[in-house]
Amino acid sequence: MDNRILSLFQLCDSNLPTGAFSHSFGLESYIQDGKVKDPESFYEWLRVYLHEQLIYTDGLVCRLIYDALRKKDIQKIWKLDHLITVQNLPRETRQGTKMIGYRMLKLAESLYGMPTLSQYRERIDKKQSYGHPAIVFSMVAHGLEVSKQNTILYYLYSAVSSQVQNAVRAIPLGQTAGQTITHKFQPELTRAAESIMQLHEDDFGIVSPGLELSQMKHERVNIRIFMS
Amino acid sequence: MSKWTGVLSMDLENRKGKTIAKRVFFQGAFKVMRPIYHDDSGKVCYYLLNPGGGYLDGDRYKMDISAEEGAKVTLTTQSATKVYKTPNNYAYQETVIYLKKGSYLEYLPDPLIAYQNARYKQKNVIHMEKGATFLYTDILTPGWSPNGDYFSFDSVQLITEINWDGKLGVFDHIKLTPAQQNLSGLGYMEGYSHLGSMIIISEQTSTSIIDEIYQSIETEEIDIKFGLSKLEVPGFSLRILGNSTQHIERVFTKCLHIINQKWFHRTPSSLRKY
Repeated sequence: MDNRILSLFQLCDSNLPTGAFSHSFGLESYIQDGKVKDPESFYEWLRVYLHEQLIYTDGLVCRLIYDALRKKDIQKIWKLDHLITVQNLPRETRQGTKMIGYRMLKLAESLYGMPTLSQYRERIDKKQSYGHPAIVFSMVAHGLEVSKQNTILYYLYSAVSSQVQNAVRAIPLGQTAGQTITHKFQPELTRAAESIMQLHEDDFGIVSPGLELSQMKHERVNIRIFMS
Repeated sequence: MSKWTGVLSMDLENRKGKTIAKRVFFQGAFKVMRPIYHDDSGKVCYYLLNPGGGYLDGDRYKMDISAEEGAKVTLTTQSATKVYKTPNNYAYQETVIYLKKGSYLEYLPDPLIAYQNARYKQKNVIHMEKGATFLYTDILTPGWSPNGDYFSFDSVQLITEINWDGKLGVFDHIKLTPAQQNLSGLGYMEGYSHLGSMIIISEQTSTSIIDEIYQSIETEEIDIKFGLSKLEVPGFSLRILGNSTQHIERVFTKCLHIINQKWFHRTPSSLRKY
C-alpha cells in the first residue's frame, strides 16, 4: 500500500511537467487588480476557489469517476469528460485544463501503463474526448487502489499546491510564506473533501460569478506571466 | 411532482416570410399575449405573462417552444419574474426549446426578483441544429425584502444546457445561497448587486465580433465588471456584474444591436413594455 501511495504522490508533485504552473485560473486577474496582494488576500482567494469552484467541478468529478470505475461504467467517464469541459465557459481555462489533462495523461500512461489511461488517450487523439486532470488523477488513484476519500483529498492538495507555487512567483510571496499557507490550509482541504462526499450529482458545475469573471477577464490581460 | 402550475407550448413556423404559431397551447397560470410584429422582417414577438403576478410556494412552470426552419422569434416577458417566499417547496421553471437549422430565437426575459425566503430553480434546455441561432439573456437582481436588505432570498439556482448538433455544448450552473456565502466578497458578487448573463450561439460567431463587442462594452461609462469568452461550440458567453438592471440592460441592448447589424443587417426593435 505504501508503495502505491508513493506512486500517486508523484502525480501530486507541483514539479510534474504538465504545464499546471503556467495556469493561474483567474488568480492573475486579481493580482493585477490589486485585490490579491499578500498572504492574507491570497488565502481568501484560495479558500473561495476551493469551496466555490473546485469542489463542484474537479472534486465532484473525482468522486464520480472513482464510482464509475468501480462499477466499470466506462460510458459515464466519457460523459463526465464532456460535461466538465463544456461547463468551463472561460476559453483560456477550458483550453488550459485540456492541455494539462492531456500532458498528465501521457505521462501517467508511460509511468503506470494502465489500459484505461490508454483508452482515454486514444479517445482524445480521435477527438472523441477532451481530457481533464481530475479524470486522469482518479484513474491512476483507482488503479493504485487508493481509497476514494484519499483520491479526492490528494487531488485537491495537488491543485492547491500548484496555486500556492504560482502565488509565490506572481504576487510575489516568500517561499516560507507559501509553505505556511499550505500548512494552514490543511483543514480547508479536509472540509472540502468532506463536502464533496455529501454533494448531490445535481450540484455539478456550480460556479461563483466573480471567479468565473476573473477567468474570462484574464483573456484581455496584456502583460502576463500565466496562460490563464 | 408531475403536476404543473402553468404550461405553455408553442410551435412556430415560417409561412411565406412571416413567422406564425401553428400551434399554441397554454394552461393554468401561464399565458402568452397575441403575437406582435415590430417590423417587416417577419420576426414575431411573444410576451409571456404570469397572470398570478408571481411564483409562490411549490409552483412549477413549464414552457416548450419549437421553431421550424426559417422561423424567427423573440420571446420576452411582460414584467419581472417575482418569486415570493417558499416555505415548503422551491418554485421551479423549466423551459425546453427546439431550434431547427435556419431558425432564430431570442429569449430575453425581464429580471428575476426573488423575495425574502424565496427558493427558485430554473432550468433551460436548448436543442439546436447546426445553422440555428439562439440568443439568451438573464438578469439576477438582489431581490426584495421589507427592510431593503439585499440578497434576503434563500436560494436561486439557474441552469442552462445547450445541445448543439446532438451534443451538449454549454452547461451553465449558477447557484446563490446568501446565508452560506459571503456574497459581497471576493470571488462572488465582488461588491456588486446585479448579475447579468448572456449566451449567444451561432455558426456566424467569429473572434472579430467578440472583440468588437468587448471594445464597445469597454467604452460604456458605467460601473460594471464584465467578462466575455468564446464557447466550446460556435458562440460566446458574457457575464456582467453591475449595480442596476438598467446598466446591464444597456450592455445587452448594445450587444444585440451589434449582432443584429453584423449578422442580419437589421436593427433590433425596442421591446417597450411600460
